[in-house]
Amino acid sequence: MLLLLPIAIPVLGAGLILCFRNPRVATRAALLLGALEIGALGAVVWQVHVRSELQQGRYLRADGLSSFFLMGIAFISGLVLVYASGYLRHMGEGRFSSPRWFYALVFLFLFTMISVCLSANLGFLWIMMEGTTLASALLVGFYNTEGAVEAGWKYLVVCTVGIAFALFGTIVLYLAAVKAGMSPAAALDWVSLMDAAPRIGLDPHLVKLAFVFVIVGYGTKVGFVPMHSWLPDAHAEAPTPISALLSAVLLNCAMYAVMRYDAIVSRAVGPAFPHTLLLIFGVVSMVVAGLLILVQRNLKRLMAYSSIEHMGIIAIGLGLGGPLGLFGALLHAFNHSVAKSLLFFSAGNVRHHVGTLRMDGIQGISRTMPQTSAALLVGGLAIVGLPPFSLFISEFAILSEAFTQARYFVVILFLVILSVVFGGFAFHFFRMLCGEPDRHVENSRLIPSEYIAMGIAGLSLLFFGARIPYLFGLLLHEAMAVLQ
Amino acid sequence: MGLVGIATEKILSSFSVFLFLSILLLAVARRISTSVLLFSLQSAVITAEVLATAYQEKLAGVYVVGLLVFAIKVVAIPRAFFLLTKRLKTVRDVKASTTPTQSVFITVAMIYLSYAAVHSYGQAVHVPDDALAAAVSLILTGAFLMVSRKKALMQVLGLLVLENGIFLAALLTTFGMPLVIEIGIFFDILMGLLLMGIFTFRISDTFEHLDVSKLRKLRG
Repeated sequence: MLLLLPIAIPVLGAGLILCFRNPRVATRAALLLGALEIGALGAVVWQVHVRSELQQGRYLRADGLSSFFLMGIAFISGLVLVYASGYLRHMGEGRFSSPRWFYALVFLFLFTMISVCLSANLGFLWIMMEGTTLASALLVGFYNTEGAVEAGWKYLVVCTVGIAFALFGTIVLYLAAVKAGMSPAAALDWVSLMDAAPRIGLDPHLVKLAFVFVIVGYGTKVGFVPMHSWLPDAHAEAPTPISALLSAVLLNCAMYAVMRYDAIVSRAVGPAFPHTLLLIFGVVSMVVAGLLILVQRNLKRLMAYSSIEHMGIIAIGLGLGGPLGLFGALLHAFNHSVAKSLLFFSAGNVRHHVGTLRMDGIQGISRTMPQTSAALLVGGLAIVGLPPFSLFISEFAILSEAFTQARYFVVILFLVILSVVFGGFAFHFFRMLCGEPDRHVENSRLIPSEYIAMGIAGLSLLFFGARIPYLFGLLLHEAMAVLQ
Repeated sequence: MGLVGIATEKILSSFSVFLFLSILLLAVARRISTSVLLFSLQSAVITAEVLATAYQEKLAGVYVVGLLVFAIKVVAIPRAFFLLTKRLKTVRDVKASTTPTQSVFITVAMIYLSYAAVHSYGQAVHVPDDALAAAVSLILTGAFLMVSRKKALMQVLGLLVLENGIFLAALLTTFGMPLVIEIGIFFDILMGLLLMGIFTFRISDTFEHLDVSKLRKLRG
């Protein structure tokens, strides 16, 4: 029963919020439901930790890997809801662009992402992954401006096509499983697939074909180059809390799906094939996105390309495999989502007070908006992977794994791109933070909700950089155990 | 074997030719309404194949899927398209970026490519090459329609053709996925189409045209 709770709360909550016409009431209801949801997710994570696995019917299951990602969803969605409660005061009243529609769609979006992590069945996983696109497309186009409509359309079409390929991959794997003698009911269940993997792998062609389609399909949602074209548009045009959700939660959920398939296929045909593909996608994404960071003009697009780069880093960690590579990949998924939320929150504040996201129009904000600038600086230092912050640890782990396996080509590219990205961020941020402010900014102090959201994100970046909390470490190792 | 038995045999063995015909005609169709009609006919062919499979394999769940395909893809979606084109009062041309001759040549090349691609898999899964090649070429031409037609509605139609191909491949090789999953997929497609409908309205509202090739503000 416990597994139904985190799925039921957001669906019912979305319906409930639509009943509140008063924006303030809708916001309070959303915060309350968010707290309930986090409680439910916490209970699931704890029960998984105690019993190592939870099962509900044939379609819902949670194990160490799901609970690690659920914890990330709970943490980030909490931050986003708190930040959004203050952010929505800037929002104008439109027919479908009122706070109640915003929150209702956010909860539907959360419902689909949580269901992705809780699904026990690869078909159900696909349905929910397509659901994430549908639920978030309207949020991407929420402002109804030309840019937002264009981004929303592109997001919807590109991701639906991508995910159609993932469906084909799912079908091919199902075919391989049925041919290997599994019953149709069990042939989509990933635990049964993991058990039967060696038998399925006797005919490796179909399994490999399936993995190629799946990594292209779900890779579209992860944002691997060259299927990334939707990502910068969607991140830049969506309302800021949604940009944070897309970058910090949705990309991780898609990565979760890739990890599940990677585990099954690795066991069926050996890790060489899937890991090589992951390494290629990872390195290409990292290199292309890292170079594109240099030429960005819009602050949020800069963040979006940085997300692609970090997804590349996670894919490299997975592709290298090994204890350190997996450890780094999972930890990096979490760290990146915290750092990126902080950066998007700061970018949202900059947009409101300066009135633009074009970086050549933003100057000297360290004087006019000191608090936001501090957050931007902390986020920036963290995202480029400098030592006191947590992303350094995960990147270092991945790098050490590459050294251990003597993959010097990957090591060199990794280091070169990291320095290029560092240069790019330093260049862009220096121009924005320093210099003479060219316009007067009124009342730039953070309001309490922003303080809380950005404070927690910033502090946890520092805290996780100093040491990994005991319980978090346990969960991380339980997640790794599922993949090995 | 009764008359129905012979009919199902024939449907499964030779209806692929109608699918090839439908994609070749889609390549030369100049009007959105013609394309929608062709899509509807193509889905009707697929419905026949689904029902034939259900009869041959004696699977009750597959009959349900067949009825769903008929209700959604042959009736509901084409109707919605006609309503949309009427409401949007858009130009009825598909705005192809290739000439009809080029389109036909590309489609033929894709059919050839599909035969080459499925050659090694067909025997392994005990499915006639023609049927599997038809499924793969639906996928390829669907993708081709999406990139070569500039109208937003035609992109959606291309997506539907592509989805038809994936559906057919699943049907041929595995007699379809479990029913619950199949229904979930249909629900997703319907919701996706609803959203795309909403977005086509928004595009025509904010841009006063439906030509997606002119949506190019966001670059780099």
